[in-house]
Amino acid sequence: MAILRGEYKVQGGKLIRVLLEEEGGRIARIRITGDFFLHPEDTIFELEKALEGAELSEAQLLGRIQGVYRSAGASSIGASPEDFVRAILGARAWASRGSGSP
Amino acid sequence: MELGEVWRLIGIETHDAYTNMAIDEALMRLRAVGRAPNTIRLYKWRPSAVSIGFFQSVEEEVDVGACAELGVDVVRRMTGGGAVYHDSEGELTYSLVVDAGNPKVPPDFLGSYRVLCDGIVRGLRSLGLDARFHPVNDVVVGGRKISGSAQTRRMGAILQHGTVLIRADVSKMFRVLRVPDEKLRDKMISAAHERVTSIERELGRGVGFEEVFEALRRGFEEALGIALEGGSLSEEERSLAMELRGKYSSREWTYMR
Repeated sequence: MAILRGEYKVQGGKLIRVLLEEEGGRIARIRITGDFFLHPEDTIFELEKALEGAELSEAQLLGRIQGVYRSAGASSIGASPEDFVRAILGARAWASRGSGSP
Repeated sequence: MELGEVWRLIGIETHDAYTNMAIDEALMRLRAVGRAPNTIRLYKWRPSAVSIGFFQSVEEEVDVGACAELGVDVVRRMTGGGAVYHDSEGELTYSLVVDAGNPKVPPDFLGSYRVLCDGIVRGLRSLGLDARFHPVNDVVVGGRKISGSAQTRRMGAILQHGTVLIRADVSKMFRVLRVPDEKLRDKMISAAHERVTSIERELGRGVGFEEVFEALRRGFEEALGIALEGGSLSEEERSLAMELRGKYSSREWTYMR
């Protein structure tokens, strides 16, 4: 199992950060943070849930994210489903960066 | 002049971060069930505070050590968007609660940001500033951001809240907000001076909170074609806010992500 971290700055938009546990090419757990807008806001929890078990492939990630957008009637500003996929696929193994929190 | 719709105006109030966010949510919830009127509230933060967007994480955005040292609170908003430093002496916040079906407010986010931010634009113009709306959710003067807003819609009501910078303490802002690289801190501070401005900097004189309050009142009245009538929170609003304050001041909420 590996911990991956990624940051993706949307052109003219917002910053998406992902922190995920990867196991055998699939997402075991993921947290997506950033300064984007997603409506309804609680959709983020469904997104993260739906991504558990997903293969780290563009087609599968995008399919799952779009599926949640559809079922939740969600919309976002500053970051699109494609941007979330880019942030996830750009995540790399993370060596402690020393967050400085007490 | 046409007699417009009357909305309630509350302010200027001063509360801590948790109470301010709790009042905004309480107004929205009660507006949604028809037990609160359309309202604009103007408020300050005491102590000064950092608010982070709903989707952000404290550890990524905030230097909690510096906040503790400086007596700055940290609160998670119910709205998305970025981290904001609310200086108790430098920033006035507005919040606006309206029913989602109101014909004055476009049904889509982008359109409604434009209409609601026009209250800020007109208010700042009445102070002599060349303020312009900068999509999606900012107001700029001379290309520099002076106001930013965030909106949410739930249960048939819209809440939009945002900042109006009267005077900016950019160094303090960068002490409490996390910078990606310590070596870049000075660079980021000068970059922020280029990107962000304030009413006092643009006017080149001291400006009081009351003057900005009056300007925003005029601005929102004009932009929305409404009359604002001074009021205060009802008992029900106050007690729901006190209840919600527990959530906003809890570690579970603040460190949720």
